[in-house]
Amino acid sequence: MTKIIHRTMFGSGATRRAFVAGGGAALVAAPFVHANAQGQTTLRWWSPQAAPAQREAYMFQIKTFEEANPSIKIAFEASSDEGYPAQMAAAFASGQVPNVVTHLPSFAVSSYWQNGLLEPFNDVINMIGPQNYFDGANRIYEITPGQFAGTGMGGSAANMMWLRKDLMQEAGIAAAPRTWDELRAAAQKMQKGTIFGAPLPYARNSMTSLIFICFVHGAGGQIFTPDLQVAVESDQFKNALEFYKAMREVCPPGATNYSWGDSLTAFVSGATATGIYTGRVLANVQQQNPKIADAITCAPYPTAAANIPHWTFNDFPSVMIPKAAKDMDASKKFAAHLFRADGYIRQLHAAPGHVLPVLKSVYEMPQYQENAIINKYRAEVQVMAQQSSAGHNLGWESPKHKPNTKAGQIIASHVFAEAVQRYVQNNEPMAAIISDTAKRLDQIMKS
Amino acid sequence: MAPAYPKTRRRPETKIPMPHAKSRLDQRYALLGVALVAPTVLVFLAVIVYPLITAIYLSLFKIFTPTLQGGFVGLSNYTQLLASGEFWKALRVTLTWTVLTLALQIIFGVLAALMLHQNMVFRSLARSLILFPYFVSTVVAVLVWRWLFNDLYGILNHAMIMSGLISRPMDWLGSMPNAMVSIVLVGAWKYFPFVVIAVLARLQSIPDALYEAAKIDGAGPVARFFDVTLPQLRDVLIVVVLLRAIWDFKEFDLIYLLTGGGPVTSTQTLPLMVYAEAFGQNSMGMASAIAVTMMLVMLVFMTVYLWRSSSMEERA
Repeated sequence: MTKIIHRTMFGSGATRRAFVAGGGAALVAAPFVHANAQGQTTLRWWSPQAAPAQREAYMFQIKTFEEANPSIKIAFEASSDEGYPAQMAAAFASGQVPNVVTHLPSFAVSSYWQNGLLEPFNDVINMIGPQNYFDGANRIYEITPGQFAGTGMGGSAANMMWLRKDLMQEAGIAAAPRTWDELRAAAQKMQKGTIFGAPLPYARNSMTSLIFICFVHGAGGQIFTPDLQVAVESDQFKNALEFYKAMREVCPPGATNYSWGDSLTAFVSGATATGIYTGRVLANVQQQNPKIADAITCAPYPTAAANIPHWTFNDFPSVMIPKAAKDMDASKKFAAHLFRADGYIRQLHAAPGHVLPVLKSVYEMPQYQENAIINKYRAEVQVMAQQSSAGHNLGWESPKHKPNTKAGQIIASHVFAEAVQRYVQNNEPMAAIISDTAKRLDQIMKS
Repeated sequence: MAPAYPKTRRRPETKIPMPHAKSRLDQRYALLGVALVAPTVLVFLAVIVYPLITAIYLSLFKIFTPTLQGGFVGLSNYTQLLASGEFWKALRVTLTWTVLTLALQIIFGVLAALMLHQNMVFRSLARSLILFPYFVSTVVAVLVWRWLFNDLYGILNHAMIMSGLISRPMDWLGSMPNAMVSIVLVGAWKYFPFVVIAVLARLQSIPDALYEAAKIDGAGPVARFFDVTLPQLRDVLIVVVLLRAIWDFKEFDLIYLLTGGGPVTSTQTLPLMVYAEAFGQNSMGMASAIAVTMMLVMLVFMTVYLWRSSSMEERA
């Protein structure tokens, strides 16, 4: 048996001695190979946005950068929307940080910045050209006056309400719902057979937390006061919980386990009549379910009453550089390269409407505007761009709010998702849930 | 008259080694011994002792994970942990998951091993295929199961609706007790082949004479199983149960990927709590305290296992 294995592994002509000698030679040669590789710098790029079309655009950006900088190689590594807090924490703790991190929400950037983990981004912004940005595009990253913790890779409108016009017509619904009551009524009317009304998430994850925050603002409330005192013991918070619970009957049973991908797929596949997502819906419908492509549209997500303004969740997909990153100059150069028009437009076109440009100069370019999906859904893209530009998130709830550097930790704690689950699934008393939520938020803010 | 003693040849003088020479030889042997053992000791220190001491050390601090900065808090993490309902709930969930999934693994494992021990067509193929769940990556297995459990496209709900068992899809992973039932079933499916391997190996070494004697005594198949097979499997099963109990107790990926610990914290086991504290809350000190407490609980399993192994060795 041993002989067979030996023969299988080494072939009849090679001996064990030859194999050992070969191994020894390889060991001796290794330092020389390493020495040859020493002239080469490898930069690591992390992003949770890694759909196939996006990866393709990234590869183009990497290729053009490597061609211009032959001594630098870029290694792209995908992280995930749910997993990045753990991945980043482990990377920072071990000192094995990536060189450039893109597409994390702005509140993650502010949290890392507050803990002294990031390199100031002013140099990169200067390389890109501050005049090329939309006005105020980087305001959210200026946590320390005069210093930028990162920059925007783009804007997003994460809680757009997606609608099926064909189903609306069948149900006799003339216009997009404006209030929660109208939305619920519309979802009930459109729900039939295997089609559910909405794909809201009820899981213990970041999507549930973020959507719930949108609902609190949609009720006219806020999570924190502008000076960052906990403000969840309010009628608006209660109304948001009530609305979330009321919507459960029009959501699929498995929504208790939904995250971004599941929610998106539910609408794109035609399993739900409405959706809640960014503009990624457009590209996914074209590719995965083109038969509903002419029937979809979007509108800002309804609020509790028509006099309450829309509140759009913009996670401000970012670019940042960890302070402990090696080869800082090359890292900055690469970060700036990501905004070179040819590659940046490809990246934006990988999911048109999903990540909206932060560079006015690029937005105005015909190369950006002349895209089949953007052309087809110009009205929808415009609505998303408007909502995105007025968008906020937990790290910056309103223009009056101070930046909340604990927002990332709050989302990762699932405190809001648990409040939703306790109220909707466990039917626990609202007062106890709100009191626990307030205490936990207070603890996190003081930690 | 003095007795005549037989003349004996004088024994040649034995050369007594000089103390100096002896110690040199001993030293050389001792050095060789140290050299041979050193790699093992070093690896043991690096991969077992160092992390263990670090975990205990970290558990006495309040530490922010990304920066690893923090201050000494003594036993405060432990007192806080033991006073929190979340810890006790997670311990209860961990024990529930461990006991239920282990019981199913043993039942399915023994049944499958008995079946594969019979003379049957394609026995070798069946023996290979049954190991498949154990060898497939947990991530892949969970993705497949999540797809099967899916409310909108999953075959499980589809089949149940088509057969008239239910009228609406069931929520397998997001509500209780379904979530616990689902993770227990998937855990049993994933790990029962380990029991099959161990039990099948033992079945093949049970002497046929025992079965023949039992047959002569008039024992039927059921009596033969309980009076011959089961007693012969006892020692193997004890070791398997102990090993699997330890492994199931610290299971992370399967549960994390299937339910993430939800709904709320209904399937949050201690390893998930460690992860949430270390990387969600960035509290490495508290996470270490939970890990050390877990280790103490596992130490009980380990002690039983070592005691059992040594008593088996003595009998052998």
